[in-house]
Amino acid sequence: MSDIQSALRETAKKLLTEGTVTCVIGWGETRFPDKTTPIFVKTPEDAEKLVWNAHCVCGLAKYMLDNRCPEGKLAICVRGCDSRAVNRIVEDKQYKREDLYLIGLPCEGKDAPICATCTHRNPVVYDVLLGGPVPEIEVSQEDRFQAVTALEGLTPAEQYDYWQKQFSKCIHCYACRNACPACNCTECYADQYRVGWQGKQIDKAENQVYGLTRAFHVGDRCIECGECERVCPMGLPIMSQTRKILKDINDLWGNYECGLTDSRPHILGEFDLSDRDDFM
Amino acid sequence: MSVKADPNWEPKILAFCCNWCTYTGADLAGLNRMKYPANVRVVRLPCSSRVNPQFILRAFQKGCDGVMVCGCHPGDCHYATGNYFTRRRFMLMKRLLEYNGIDPQRFQARWISGSEAAKFRDTVTRVAGEIKALGPNTRFQEKWYEEGGEAQ
Amino acid sequence: MSRIGVVVCHCGTNIAGVVDVERVAAEAAKLPNVVFAVTNKYTCSEPGQATMKAAIEEHQLDRLVICSCSPRMHEATFRRMLKDTRINPYMLEIANLREQCAWVHTDKEKATEKAIDLMRMAVAKVEQNKPLFTSTIPIHKKCLIIGGGIAGIQAALDVADAGYQVTIVEREPSIGGHMVMLDKTFPTLDCSACISTPKMVDVGQHPNITLMTSSEVVNVGGYVGSFEVTIKQKARYVDHTKCTGCGLCETKCPTKVPSEFNQGYNKRTAIYKPFAQAVPAKPVIDPDSCKMLKEGKCGVCAKVCPLGCIDFKDTAKEYTETYGAIIVATGYDLIPWQDLYGEYGGGRYADVITGLQFERLVNASGPTEGHILRPSDGTEPKDVVIIKCVGSRDPHKGKSYCSRACCMYSAKHAHQILEKLPGANVYIFYMDVRTPGKGYEEFYDRTRADGAVYIRGRVSKIYKENGKLVCKGEDTLLGKPVSVQADMVVLATAMVPAVGVEKLTTMLGIATDPDKWVQEAHPKLRPVETQTGGIFLAGTCQGPKDIPDTVAQASAAAVKVCGLFSKDEMETSPMISGVDQQKCCGCGFCVNCCPYKAISLVEIDAREGARRVKKTVASVNSGLCQGCGCCTAACRTGAIDLSGYTNAQILKEVDALCL
Repeated sequence: MSDIQSALRETAKKLLTEGTVTCVIGWGETRFPDKTTPIFVKTPEDAEKLVWNAHCVCGLAKYMLDNRCPEGKLAICVRGCDSRAVNRIVEDKQYKREDLYLIGLPCEGKDAPICATCTHRNPVVYDVLLGGPVPEIEVSQEDRFQAVTALEGLTPAEQYDYWQKQFSKCIHCYACRNACPACNCTECYADQYRVGWQGKQIDKAENQVYGLTRAFHVGDRCIECGECERVCPMGLPIMSQTRKILKDINDLWGNYECGLTDSRPHILGEFDLSDRDDFM
Repeated sequence: MSVKADPNWEPKILAFCCNWCTYTGADLAGLNRMKYPANVRVVRLPCSSRVNPQFILRAFQKGCDGVMVCGCHPGDCHYATGNYFTRRRFMLMKRLLEYNGIDPQRFQARWISGSEAAKFRDTVTRVAGEIKALGPNTRFQEKWYEEGGEAQ
Repeated sequence: MSRIGVVVCHCGTNIAGVVDVERVAAEAAKLPNVVFAVTNKYTCSEPGQATMKAAIEEHQLDRLVICSCSPRMHEATFRRMLKDTRINPYMLEIANLREQCAWVHTDKEKATEKAIDLMRMAVAKVEQNKPLFTSTIPIHKKCLIIGGGIAGIQAALDVADAGYQVTIVEREPSIGGHMVMLDKTFPTLDCSACISTPKMVDVGQHPNITLMTSSEVVNVGGYVGSFEVTIKQKARYVDHTKCTGCGLCETKCPTKVPSEFNQGYNKRTAIYKPFAQAVPAKPVIDPDSCKMLKEGKCGVCAKVCPLGCIDFKDTAKEYTETYGAIIVATGYDLIPWQDLYGEYGGGRYADVITGLQFERLVNASGPTEGHILRPSDGTEPKDVVIIKCVGSRDPHKGKSYCSRACCMYSAKHAHQILEKLPGANVYIFYMDVRTPGKGYEEFYDRTRADGAVYIRGRVSKIYKENGKLVCKGEDTLLGKPVSVQADMVVLATAMVPAVGVEKLTTMLGIATDPDKWVQEAHPKLRPVETQTGGIFLAGTCQGPKDIPDTVAQASAAAVKVCGLFSKDEMETSPMISGVDQQKCCGCGFCVNCCPYKAISLVEIDAREGARRVKKTVASVNSGLCQGCGCCTAACRTGAIDLSGYTNAQILKEVDALCL
């Protein structure tokens, strides 16, 4: 681990010294020994602040849209999930791939529950890979959608009760939105007041409508990084909403995993004449 | 479900209909003086693909007991391909709604052409019956708040 | 504050008989911002309209709700009425109280409740309405026709005769297409070249027609009324402005290659006219076979040309022009049967030929001067087998559709063989005989009377034995295997869309069906239009058809163009999509789902904090957008919205229902 950390610092220092990039986004230490935080490294000296350890759980890709980024080419440390998030953002045309330098870091899983069902521990896209690739783990579709399948088996009343309990906790902090690499609109519908998409009050109905809308906005493009659920301060199982959509897409239109390339067509932006309409 | 024991309760059903097929079909039902229950209110839209899934959530939230999305049959869309997108969007949306506890009958999508007045009549009659049997929708609604407690 | 007027129509007793219209009006009057609410006996009548106009003035209304019959009935009437009032015609909403309420319900109480709901929804919506203005787009009265076959020729002549400028783009060196290759046409047996070449000459000489042969469309932009089209003319190496078409160069050219026009059955020179009656009647040099262009040696044509027309340094030229309308007439090609039907020899047997090859063999101006001779040894065949549906109606190997013309031309081939080769035997393997056309069934009867033997069944295998082609198949009527020893086999191969048509349809932004035929706007009611305004279809690019149908469709397309050109400008609906560039994040999801390719991503200057940045946003081409709104539901930000059916309008309508 420490070898890779020093290699990471070296790489960052080199990139900044040579002027290849103006900023390196990586993880840095915090006051807590078991937490790291995303940092924007803008000088070669600061490269020493970069860390690589089991606590580097935070997704970094979304930070390239942060206004703390200076102008110019950015370098981002990418694990498997981050690399898919980068693809997500590039495919959504929010950033150009050529303006990014990706430092690939194979990852054997961090302190996050989502890592147990991670299917891409090696970055799917990178400019330089630090350390050798790590073995991928096999995750069956059953395991991937286990939470969804469990809920699907309930009656509508039970499902509703379950979600009401969950959404009653929601405080509309929008952390799930802010962390999600697929939530990359410049102005979220939830922040718009004139159209009246939905109310701002915190009640279970508004919360659930927000939750559903968010899921529908990102579900078909979800890269399953689990950031939404990780950052939720109230511990809502948000990801089981987007995974429900992914599961349905897999059922309906074949194997589907997002963010593996930067050019996969958007599944709701295309159609097939022979698509099913047995819900009719 | 704590349905208020109102024997005269009638469900309110919102139907988003495309102008070229289903709305025309509904008009034709009128021209033919076909009879169906007065539960359906139609919102006229150019194409079923105009229906943003958020409209459905909004309708439930504001107190609709059922929502329908109706458009041209695949291949007949006035705009060539609109309803193919409708089909994909609502295939996912319907499953997501059901996952969140909305009874399957409460959200339905149908292809009804401009000539299928009888199909329009039969569809809304059946949907109205199904939803009447289910009782008023309280899910996604703010009413629990007004009534000062849990609706269910 | 808006000032809304609500008029509830009795429609005689049509509405008032079931709905308590007075109660609806009274409920309307209670709504905020409704300053005027009345009922009216017949709102659409002259007096009814006059009352409304007076009320608009008197109460200074700025928007209007009419509760009456279906908007499909009178929306246009009422919008016209509002044109000369202070209200914009689009500040109107109609609640459908007749077709969707009074006529379909019997319970007066429930119908009235529903009517009130519908009225409230309309009032809620109209409050969100914004004035909209129709705009006009100029029509450039110049028509582009892509393809110079009989469809393109007919359409060009019709449009040009109406007095409009026409440009024909043809990728071959001459117009004429497939029709000019044919010998005789069914069912009248008139000579194909004799009836098509005069039309070709007319095209060549018409003052309103510009002919661009050896040319292809390489780029299309714009929309109905003003398509910006770039046409690339390949290098011809012959200056057609000077050339008189004397033909001396062709007689001296030493290079001989198989003639495409004659299906490779004889040779042409490297500097050539495809056929004698070519239009333009001037040669071009084929750079793939010319010795001078390939090896830098020869130049005989340049030496003999009395006018010095040969220019070996000629290059491709691009022309960009504006056209008001485009007719696609790209025609068909034959299915590459050799790759699909190994059991028929896959092209190994010289005497297994296509119908089109047979046309050249039987044509008096063809390589055999009209004598039917076997390509392999030049002898007259005695037993000829014709196999129909090769590639057609065969979803496993070829296409599932019927190519429509084959039954008739196969009957014609049989007739010609029996006529030209007395004593010959013709066997036709068929699946069904389809003769829907004037005089077609009679012609088929005549061919059978001539002695053609029709065998119902497919040929499963052709192999060579003792110099004969043995065709093995099954006679499904007898239920017995049959085997015919033939000297020559003619295959009625399927029509498929012309090679390269996909590139063109993508450029034009028009749809194709799964078989790549160009998709018409409506299979019954708009057969010559495409989904894109100003782009029309003629001939077999839309699907297999015979010559009469092709010509009829070409003339129909021409009328559509003339109708468009009869006006100087065209009014466009204001109910189209628009982008709020502030909100737009440039993800492009709307671009993918637009059926009209009306949305594109453009780069604009924007400000982000203190920085000036380039921002990519969607932009709607108002000439192409038809207002379906598919894009709006794909937009997560709500940046793209449909005028007349905005998100805010629909949400308010939904809210109003549940008050």
